[in-house]
Amino acid sequence: MRVAIAEDNPLLRDGITLLLGEHGIEVTAAVPDAAGLLAAVAADPPDAAVVDVRMPPTFTDEGLRAALTIRSAYPGVGVLVFSQWVETSYARQLLSEQAGRVGYLLKDRIVSTGEFVGALRRVADGGTALDPEVVRQLLAAPAVDAGLARLSDREREILGLLAEGRSNVAIAEALHLVERSVEKHVTAIFTKLDLPPARTDHRRVLAVLRFLRS
Amino acid sequence: MIVLRAWLTGRVWRELAYLVSGVFVGLPAFVLALVGVVAAAASVLTVGLPLLVGVLALARLAPGWFRGPARRLLGWDWADPPPLPARTFWGRVRALPGDPTAWRALAYCLAHWPLMLAGAYPGLICVVLAPLGLTYPLWWLLPWDFPAFDGDTWADTWWVALQGVALLLATPWWLRLIVLLDRLLVRGLLHPSRSQRRIAELEAGRAALQSDAAALLRRVERDLHDGTQARLVALGLTLSRIESRSDQEPVRALAADARGTVTEALAELRDIVRGMHPPALDDGLEVALTTLAARSAVPAEVTVALRGRPPDATASALYFAVAELLTNVARHAGATRVRIDLRTVDDGLRLAVTDNGRGGATAGPPGSGPSGTGLAGLTRRAAALDGSLSVDSPAGGPTTVTMVLPERAGRLP
Repeated sequence: MRVAIAEDNPLLRDGITLLLGEHGIEVTAAVPDAAGLLAAVAADPPDAAVVDVRMPPTFTDEGLRAALTIRSAYPGVGVLVFSQWVETSYARQLLSEQAGRVGYLLKDRIVSTGEFVGALRRVADGGTALDPEVVRQLLAAPAVDAGLARLSDREREILGLLAEGRSNVAIAEALHLVERSVEKHVTAIFTKLDLPPARTDHRRVLAVLRFLRS
Repeated sequence: MIVLRAWLTGRVWRELAYLVSGVFVGLPAFVLALVGVVAAAASVLTVGLPLLVGVLALARLAPGWFRGPARRLLGWDWADPPPLPARTFWGRVRALPGDPTAWRALAYCLAHWPLMLAGAYPGLICVVLAPLGLTYPLWWLLPWDFPAFDGDTWADTWWVALQGVALLLATPWWLRLIVLLDRLLVRGLLHPSRSQRRIAELEAGRAALQSDAAALLRRVERDLHDGTQARLVALGLTLSRIESRSDQEPVRALAADARGTVTEALAELRDIVRGMHPPALDDGLEVALTTLAARSAVPAEVTVALRGRPPDATASALYFAVAELLTNVARHAGATRVRIDLRTVDDGLRLAVTDNGRGGATAGPPGSGPSGTGLAGLTRRAAALDGSLSVDSPAGGPTTVTMVLPERAGRLP
């Protein structure tokens, strides 16, 4: 897998580069700002980009904007955005159009390297990775969506894990359930959200989007 | 020559220009003052009252109206009067008849024009007649006869010349006296009074302190996020690499342990920063309040309708007020829903937080609770920004806490 990194702190940039190298991931570019990232992606599109939200020159959300640009201009490039703090609106913006090939994690998660690398692989493979903290906040918000309001507590919990990008097996492990029962819950969620089975089968993504947009 | 020296300086000409322009600038103000006198007399019959209010509202503009020529010609300057304390139209109308600033300005309007006339008229006469008189003996010597000459002998013409000299000598002093009198009037009637100046100074000082404090907190937040947090993450990253590289189980366990501590430190750091300057505020109040509502234990919905972006100190006060109120609701109200509504209204920014809980909340007098906490603390913080807080909480609910802050901290709109 090939990854581009945009992070203004040199300590972290080098750290992430070394870490990814150790996990057999090739780093195509490690740049300190959004403009550098866009140039690097244009020159040599990687499988995924790791982007810090707050970077020079304004130190507000240039990383997020760069990520949104990459998402629209290079749909094949996965984007994993890092933020110093939890910001549900960032997650909503990132996921507003489609839920695949995108991730939003707290910077702290880099410390848990296993989770971080796993999330990065998931994003590069077309999945989603959302920070548990972000999901917790999104879940805590009152459901305006009537379909979402119909969900039971357990179903909301499972929908949250779906939003994090987990598979049925991973959800079953996390909640100490058998996989069969997770499948039942997921089907119930689809039914309550009025997502009929279709050939273009991306109901998981659609359910997550509904949940994020609410 | 000594006589003429005053006339060679620019000052006397500038003063003359000020007086002459003052006749024109002062005339509408004088008329306004006369109308004001009539209206004041008629206000006993209440029909004059609306007129008087209008006159006083216009009189408040006098300091700005007179400042232009004074600043250009004489270099005088003074501050605008402080705005009326009332923020609504009817509040202003009620406040005007008792507003000392307006009455003082109206008095100036009344006195200014006659004074200008008293200065400009002799000044202009002098400028025309004095050179004529001074050169009178020379005119006598001219071969042809002027019918306008009223002197009979050449000696008499010297007497006229002497009068011209006296006029040239006296006029600059007369102009100076008039301008001095006007200066005194301006000081007494148009300048903000001593207490008004003091209030303005204190307000400016307080606003500076507030924005300094907000800027300091923001800088500390940046330093913690971009410095300390990044270093901690880098440290955790290294520990994690040690953990994966080492074959020795004790080393791996130690590294994992240390990594756990780093993770906790990072979580603590996040909580500290959140209580200081929420970074989300940089993206605007709506984003920040939505994020806050999303964390609320009681389901909360947020409506934000603001014109423009409030100053940092105000935004921060509103944010922490919402945080405090949401905590209160979760702890005491027993509510199942909270509505947060922030909008621009006539009196400034109005924040209303309504819950469907059991009610019975009281603000209490400021200072009764521990400082900075609870409704009393919020009242105190609102007051520090010239705002107010009111609590409507009948037993059985619902409870609405309303906070109103001026749009610009330290300065009323």
